[in-house]
Amino acid sequence: MTARPLIIIDTATTHAVIALATAEGMLVEQRRWEAGYRHGEELLARIAGLLADRGIAAQDLGGIVVGTGPGAFTGLRVGLATAKGLAHGLQIPVVGIATGAMLLRAAATASGANVHQLVLVQPAGLSDRVVSRGGEASRILPGGTDADLGVDGRLVAVDLAGRAPDDATALGDAAVAGLADALCVAGAARLAAGDTDDLARLVPEYVTLPRGVLMALPDDGVVVSGGRGSAP
Amino acid sequence: MSGLPVSGPLLLAIESSCDETGIALVEDGRRIHANVVASQIALHGPTGGIVPEVAARAHLRWIVPVLDEALATAGVTMADVDGVAVTYGPGLAGSLLVGVNFAKTIAWVHGKPLIPVNHLEGHVYAGWLLDPGEAEREEPPFPLIALVVSGGHTFLVEMRDHLDYRYLGGTIDDAAGEAFDKVGRLLGLGYPGGPEISRAADRATAHNRVFPRAWMPGTYDLSFSGLKTAARRIIAQARADAGLSADEREGDLPDAAVAELAWGFQDSVTDVLTTKTIRAAEAIGARGIVLGGGVAANGALRRRISGEAEARGIAMVIPRPGLCTDNGAMIGAAGARRMAAGLRAGLDLDARPSLPLARPVAK
Ligand SMILES: [Zn+2]
Repeated sequence: MTARPLIIIDTATTHAVIALATAEGMLVEQRRWEAGYRHGEELLARIAGLLADRGIAAQDLGGIVVGTGPGAFTGLRVGLATAKGLAHGLQIPVVGIATGAMLLRAAATASGANVHQLVLVQPAGLSDRVVSRGGEASRILPGGTDADLGVDGRLVAVDLAGRAPDDATALGDAAVAGLADALCVAGAARLAAGDTDDLARLVPEYVTLPRGVLMALPDDGVVVSGGRGSAP
Repeated sequence: MSGLPVSGPLLLAIESSCDETGIALVEDGRRIHANVVASQIALHGPTGGIVPEVAARAHLRWIVPVLDEALATAGVTMADVDGVAVTYGPGLAGSLLVGVNFAKTIAWVHGKPLIPVNHLEGHVYAGWLLDPGEAEREEPPFPLIALVVSGGHTFLVEMRDHLDYRYLGGTIDDAAGEAFDKVGRLLGLGYPGGPEISRAADRATAHNRVFPRAWMPGTYDLSFSGLKTAARRIIAQARADAGLSADEREGDLPDAAVAELAWGFQDSVTDVLTTKTIRAAEAIGARGIVLGGGVAANGALRRRISGEAEARGIAMVIPRPGLCTDNGAMIGAAGARRMAAGLRAGLDLDARPSLPLARPVAK
């Protein structure tokens, strides 16, 4: 195994996370900042800054781990586009890891609870929320005033300050704080196993899509022209 | 100098402002080495228009294959590239974000300058492009009038030099392309409406349908919402005359009627656009007119405006249809001028969905 470090990127929540890890999945340094819904201005500059401070050239990196959501549109687009640019430019592998599963894992570590006793809730638009459990597909919970969100299990509320119980919000904060670590471990394991993602097909999982819109886009819905073998 | 290779900087240019992922390699702002476009038209056909979230995700899906195909087509690697140009506005926020962040990262990794380009000036600068193997020809002469007409934009600018734009007027409501889409739907034609209406109009044997023109006297402004409303009324009347209900989903007008109505609508748009453009060109003593944007692919508009310009000795430049719709090469053409002017973007470049067309200032 090479000793080339990994870069970790997650932009699914309003707190952007970047980190450096060893190829074995040991967290070297993480940086988090309040990105709100404007991840685009800072992400690449922050990555460049982290590498520069550590005396690491981009060309020294051995792989990229990127959180794929679910989360807000803007952040995920920025994170995935940046991860793809890095992977293509550096010709190194990328693995996409579900942010939701990693937040649950981090919350389990922080609270000592079993991950299957936890339920992650995130905002979806102004009033709806999205609910994720380990091993299950995320689902939308329509907006309401129900304090316990009518969900069976211990809540991990991310990006829902003031819209969820305080203990759920606190566990959510702990999950965000442990996100980089969880991504490091899971990402390094997949990279070491050669279980990498197809750079073209890696796309984010959004919390919600407009009604009637499919999550998987058909490839034949896009026509590529101007390349080899077609008229310019 | 016909046939001689040009030898200016080679730009990698990335366009993702709407529903086309375009990546091109352009030399010296003119010569296309590759111009690959992933078009999402079929993806948005069922919804009859662009769904922004779907568009952004398709950009993420296609941007790497399009880049690989562009580099392979041009036969170059990133080491051969002198700069990365990217559209940073105007356009759909989510779509722009994909191209901007991908371009920033590619430029940073390879140590290339990043050049921010306004999508609208890209449509103007498509007039400078030369296809691979195409003979050298004169650049569009200044001063010139540029008319950009697309699904999202319709406006006239005066240019006395490179990157120097004086806005003369534009639509105060809908873009011309939107009107084509709307009327295409009313006539039971497919999406997008522009090419469908053009094809239907070509089949017209009678040319008696007169649709209103909004002249907006004393200005170079344009308006198409009244035309849309009139079209709805005229088409409803034609349906009633044919014994059909007003709902365009309940039975189609006879093909001859569709053709005649399409011709009448197209003639109104073409008449207004041409008249305003020629008037502007005469007012500023233009030596050239450049036409750009997706609606500039319309054959009737191309023929009409070319004829009028030629009659006045004004050089007319209209890119081939594939360069009128969104593509990366046009961003490379504008990007080269911006690069020559010393314009660069930093790692903090962000998408600007409402970016206006104005003379750029080097920071
Ligand atoms: Zn355009």
